[in-house]
Amino acid sequence: MTLRPHARKGRHSGKYALVAPATMMILCIALFPLLYSVVVSFQNIDVRTPVGTFVGLKNYFDVLRDARFWNALGNTALIMTVCVTAELVLGFILAQTLIGPLPGKRFITPLLILPVVIAPLIVGYTWRMLWDTQYGPISQVLGWIAGRPVEIVWLANPATVWPAIFITEIWQWTPFMFLVLLAGLAAINPEYREAAEIDGASSWQVLRFVTLPLVWPVMAVAILFRALDAFKVFDIVFALTNGGPGTMTETVSLYAYSVGFRNFRISYMAALTLILIAIVSVAITVLWRRMSANQERMA
Amino acid sequence: MNAPKRIFALSIASAIIATACAVPPAAPPPAAEATRPADPVGKIEGQAEQVAAAAVMTAMPPKPGGSAARAIELAKKYAGVTLNVTWEAGLQSQDPLLFSAPEFERLTGVKINVIETPFTELFSKAVADHQAGGGAYDVLNFAPTWLADLADGGVLEPLDAYIEQHMDKNDLSDLHSTYAKYQQWKGKTFGLWDDGDVFVMYYRRDWFEDAKNKEDFKAKYNRDLAPPKTWQEWDEVCSFFTERGKANNEYGCAIQRTAGNTYLWFYEQFRSNGGRFFDADMKAAINSDIGVKTLTDMVNANKHMPPGIEKWGFVEVLQAWMDGKLGMIITWPPIGRWSEGYGLESKQLEWVPKTKVAGKVGYAVSPGGHSELAVGFMLGVSSNSKNKEAAYAFIQWLTSPEISGQRVKIPFALRDPYRMSHFNDPEYAKLWPNAAEYLKVLQEGAATGLADLGIPGAREYEEALDRAITAAYAGTDPKAALDKAAEEWNAITERIGVESQKAAYEDWQKRLGANAYP
Repeated sequence: MTLRPHARKGRHSGKYALVAPATMMILCIALFPLLYSVVVSFQNIDVRTPVGTFVGLKNYFDVLRDARFWNALGNTALIMTVCVTAELVLGFILAQTLIGPLPGKRFITPLLILPVVIAPLIVGYTWRMLWDTQYGPISQVLGWIAGRPVEIVWLANPATVWPAIFITEIWQWTPFMFLVLLAGLAAINPEYREAAEIDGASSWQVLRFVTLPLVWPVMAVAILFRALDAFKVFDIVFALTNGGPGTMTETVSLYAYSVGFRNFRISYMAALTLILIAIVSVAITVLWRRMSANQERMA
Repeated sequence: MNAPKRIFALSIASAIIATACAVPPAAPPPAAEATRPADPVGKIEGQAEQVAAAAVMTAMPPKPGGSAARAIELAKKYAGVTLNVTWEAGLQSQDPLLFSAPEFERLTGVKINVIETPFTELFSKAVADHQAGGGAYDVLNFAPTWLADLADGGVLEPLDAYIEQHMDKNDLSDLHSTYAKYQQWKGKTFGLWDDGDVFVMYYRRDWFEDAKNKEDFKAKYNRDLAPPKTWQEWDEVCSFFTERGKANNEYGCAIQRTAGNTYLWFYEQFRSNGGRFFDADMKAAINSDIGVKTLTDMVNANKHMPPGIEKWGFVEVLQAWMDGKLGMIITWPPIGRWSEGYGLESKQLEWVPKTKVAGKVGYAVSPGGHSELAVGFMLGVSSNSKNKEAAYAFIQWLTSPEISGQRVKIPFALRDPYRMSHFNDPEYAKLWPNAAEYLKVLQEGAATGLADLGIPGAREYEEALDRAITAAYAGTDPKAALDKAAEEWNAITERIGVESQKAAYEDWQKRLGANAYP
């Protein structure tokens, strides 16, 4: 049966009508704010100037000249690099350990994933107590080991503040890596490993040439997810140090929050976040391409 | 590990387990959902005694023709209207929730919807609502240093016409002259003062009167042991007590040093040392020699304070002080009341540690002779309110001598004396044995106190300085830290406008006089 042109047109109209509500919703809640923030970024809206005037690229140039922005970006990159790497390694080790038969596995696995279900802000405030100099259990335990009081101000000492943040962040998010990689490892047909072992491959060779290439697609997605998440880290750092001492641990999210919602420099914050979006988009594209190339190479 | 520490460690572990097993909390509700109607008097479980005590006070009829009575008459025209009022979340909000709001509704028929908001968001939410043209709030609570920004941004409604028409002018002169200076900006009144926040130096009288301490101190410093009058004396007394008591976990002094408010103690000490915020060209002068000396002294003073002081906030200082572990502290007024146990039996103050220092506390203004008039609160009317007159009536009633006089005595309210009638209130003076002395110090603190810098961009200046100070606590060279802060201050000034900031700074100095610089 062939439809007449107007009948075909009517069928298409029906399709459009069906997707229209969802499209409108997306336009309203995602695209409009994004476009509006672009408009705002070219203005000078702040607490004293509710109705902005056009200032061109001034905010963008100001952000690029802003030492505090670059400091925050560097801190964010540091957290992202250290934590995601550590989480990947630890998560993979845990997944490899628990993929095989292990006594108490049914109890250990749920326990291991508990941190990831806690709200990051609560994790931050809980660890803040743990890191407390005078009453914190960490100092207490170290004191027992050292045989004298340990009075390290973990969260205000430049030498210890970063490790404290890293440990907290890694504690919370390693289970995420573990879960994803466990699923990835579980999906690998055991016959591949058995075949390699029959061919005389060592454990390392099985891992390097069989397991890793097969789990890589899952691993790449997990890295990407965590990297994106780590890039916008806010809660844990907010609770632990609020970016201090000084701006030593300030991340870009914290800085954007401070500029926008504490000081109400709305246009400046819009420019700052749009620059961030640009940086993230470029970084993710590059990362994804490299991962894809890696996957092809491993395959 | 001693018992409290063991309990603390166990509670942490329990908290982790409990939290881990709990469902993650939902995201904070939007502003509209965060609001809740005020609980009617007497219907709040376990708080009947407190509320009853408050109600007894309000049972006194307001003075005819006084500001409270006139506010009630004015508000009656708006019976049935609901006013949305922002208030700092937590303990601060217990006053309107349990006392002021139900009482005002009973007297006028105007409902008060208390919108509890974290302190820092009192500013941003008010501005956001105004810029969105919302009108979500009728009455705004704000820190006095924000007044310039809120007034310039059009967030606040000028109140002069309302004051002229509805206020008993005698009540203006009842306001302590220092606090009266804050209410205006560019010749218009934008807020009514509502909280006499001033730092007080609390000290352990028994430690100072101890014969052995006196003898040893005299031998070491060749002068009598007495509450310090200068910052150098503060350091000496602090180190003396710390050396003496450290083995027993007792320290000579503590001041909260965590990020957020630590700039207030710099403001105080810096100006007592003769420092000025800006030079004649409106360039930041916080990195002057006086500024560097002040910050260096602050960093050095930390050595005599409890370990980890760099992360101590209000609660940590309170805990150690109430536990009898500190010789001197400089902080806000409520600690004076709580030290004597006043109101600690109330449910709202259950979290406050039981006092071990009742009857042992002396009060004084800060070393240098000038206490910081730290933060404080004002009440204003939102320019977007649809019920401005009713909103004004509410704040006039709240701040009237009669009602404010009752509010400053409610144990769980965190408003402190700011009117002459408060300072001279015989009932207040009888609340605990040395309450009269406390009131006297608060009044002296108000008279000789130093106002926070109150010009446009005040919050940004404060935050930049605060970051510099915490960086110095962490080991950054004080001069380098202050140079960086000064750069930030200059950038803020240039962004807002050098000339307009210069005019605002001159106006601030002129208005505040000796309360800007002694």
